[in-house]
Amino acid sequence: MLSQQPQGEGDGVMAHPDEGADDASGLTLSLPSGDLNSRSGISQHRDYVKISVPGGRRDPLPMEWWKTAIAFIYAAFNLILTTVVITVVHERVPAKENSPPLPDKFFDYIDRVKWAFSVTEINGMILVGIWGIQWLFLKYKSIAGRRYFFLIGTLYLYRCVTMYITTLPVPGMHMTCAPKLYGDSKAKVQRVLQLISGGGLSITGSHLMCGDFLYSGHTVMLTLTYLFIKEYSPRSFWWYHLMCWLLSAVGVVCILIAHEHYSVDVVVAYFITSRLFWWYHTMANLQILRCSPNNYLTYTWWNPIFNFFERNVQTEVPSTFCWPVCCPPTCFKNTCKKYSKVQSTREE
Amino acid sequence: MNGLDQWPEKDVTTWLKEQGLVEYSNQNWNGYKLLRLEKVDFLKPPLSLVTSDGGQQLLDMIETLKIEHHIEAHKNGHANGHAVPLGGKARGNGTINGFRKEMVQITMPEPERTQYPVEWAKTGMAFGYALCCFVFTTVMISVVHERVPAKENTPPLPDKFFDLFNRVEWAFSICEINGMVLVGLWFLQWLLLKHKSIVGRRFFFIVGTLYLYRCITMYITTLPVPGMHFKCSPKLFGDWESQMRRVMKMIAGGGLSITGSHTMCGDYLYSGHTVMLTLTYLFIKEYSPKRFWWYHWICWTLSVVGIFCILLAHDHYTVDVVVAYYITTRLFWWYHTMANQEALKKPSMGNFFSRVWWYRFFQYLEENVRGIVPRKYHLPIAWHQLPWSHVKYSRLETQ
Repeated sequence: MLSQQPQGEGDGVMAHPDEGADDASGLTLSLPSGDLNSRSGISQHRDYVKISVPGGRRDPLPMEWWKTAIAFIYAAFNLILTTVVITVVHERVPAKENSPPLPDKFFDYIDRVKWAFSVTEINGMILVGIWGIQWLFLKYKSIAGRRYFFLIGTLYLYRCVTMYITTLPVPGMHMTCAPKLYGDSKAKVQRVLQLISGGGLSITGSHLMCGDFLYSGHTVMLTLTYLFIKEYSPRSFWWYHLMCWLLSAVGVVCILIAHEHYSVDVVVAYFITSRLFWWYHTMANLQILRCSPNNYLTYTWWNPIFNFFERNVQTEVPSTFCWPVCCPPTCFKNTCKKYSKVQSTREE
Repeated sequence: MNGLDQWPEKDVTTWLKEQGLVEYSNQNWNGYKLLRLEKVDFLKPPLSLVTSDGGQQLLDMIETLKIEHHIEAHKNGHANGHAVPLGGKARGNGTINGFRKEMVQITMPEPERTQYPVEWAKTGMAFGYALCCFVFTTVMISVVHERVPAKENTPPLPDKFFDLFNRVEWAFSICEINGMVLVGLWFLQWLLLKHKSIVGRRFFFIVGTLYLYRCITMYITTLPVPGMHFKCSPKLFGDWESQMRRVMKMIAGGGLSITGSHTMCGDYLYSGHTVMLTLTYLFIKEYSPKRFWWYHWICWTLSVVGIFCILLAHDHYTVDVVVAYYITTRLFWWYHTMANQEALKKPSMGNFFSRVWWYRFFQYLEENVRGIVPRKYHLPIAWHQLPWSHVKYSRLETQ
């Protein structure tokens, strides 16, 4: 409460000290009045007044970890589904003797280099590692994580669909595909588990199955991780962005050099990943789009899921960083706001 | 000018009050003083204390007053020998017969920019772009045709839809007939639209871009023929003339099998027929009144049946159709959201849509369109738009 009397009429501003409560809706204010020259001889009244500001605003970027957990489950489910579909599709891949690799422009120009695919996978692991570290240091981890899981899940879901409906033959005679298990479900489940545990990478020896060509999951990971790294880091770190871009681009090109995917797989994967990322983030960042009637962006099938995740996020997520352990900020810190002491004099 | 010079203070005050310049009304000017007011007078007190705009408004009104009085004086036959701003010489005799019945052109201020300017040049450019993309696609099909593996060597790829449904021979004709009906309907609807140029521009741009993407995907990886029923023309290794002739034939037939122009193979990823069916339906739905739900339903059915028949005829792989549908719908919605939101027409950090490669072209096409294009219709040929009709003004009567 602020009680103020006009100057010269009596007391100056009466104030009370604010006892350390970090109340976001209140302001503590002290107003000087009277003659400051008379400071020295007069006992100092350290009086502060709390002005309560009405209607404390909702936090524009709430954490909501439970939504992130749901997104994580969605992504995990889709990854497992992808693995199962790969196993199913593997049975239908035509033998490479019967169905030779399709003509591909890139393969015509560049011959196969054996170790290129390891480069891709190493780059992919580095990028995912960097993104993981960056994510740990983000202040708004839950929101960024939620978005990442959702996009990964959706991209892999699309991938399941395209892999399943039409099966492309192997891109090169060098590919060794595991033998087909006609109807042997137990062995299939084992393969699925092996693939999951190895993360789907050839470098870990888990990816022996063929048929998952349209579109390329490696390209998706490389592109998406780079986009997220770039989006959620400060704009001034151009060297960092450039480095990650190089890792990503080199990785993608090496997929083709290794003749592990057709060019169309890589191009389609890049296209779908970048468009989905931009679409989602534009919808999330531009608040006016959400309420505008002619927003065609809401015609996608995942719009309700988007609304669920992003309903309470009201601004663009800033790239602020903090130590992983001490966020949320209410641990250990003294939350008293300190104001410079202002002398309030009493006047007769 | 004599009249003004002789104005007493009372008249000046009345005039000032009439003009809404009451702040000067207690300055006690007479006509003589009024006419000799200048800008510098307003810079010093007492006028600087009452004026709010440096006296500009008052000076303008004095000028107008002078002109009005000049006309009157001229009409009344006063010839005082100074310059006549209205053209023509001042006649000394002061008779009414000397008054020249001249008409003066009053320059109207520029009409306000309309919200939906008709810029046919831009539509022309978009049309040129679409045409280039079509021709390029045809050339590309011709090139890719040479690289399609023979169906004996590379059998058709396993496809889930083909496993479930056997081939129906006449299905592809249905698809093409549906496509032609939809395109015809869209064309008729376009003719009736009021903002033809804007909508046409959008259609050409989107179609062009989709076919351009199609060129790329067709070219980089060549899928084998989806069925053994395909009859592909023989390959012409390096024979440019015949290839050109094939390209012409295909363009002339619109790329349809029904016209017998599409005998080349290899253009599978992704399906152009799906693109046309989907896109024309989206445009028809977008630019027709909401209450014509039966019309939208008919077109939707035509579109869906057409797409289903593509697959039924085993003329494209399922992935071709799915990818075509996805790319078409996303591009359409993306473009139209950008076009309808002013905020998205400016590149900004939150506006990721500005990162597409065609953003500059989009800005060029849509920068002057403000707001959502309303669904208004009129007959294509309206009488008042014919070039030889213009508005006639009746001559001003002079007293």
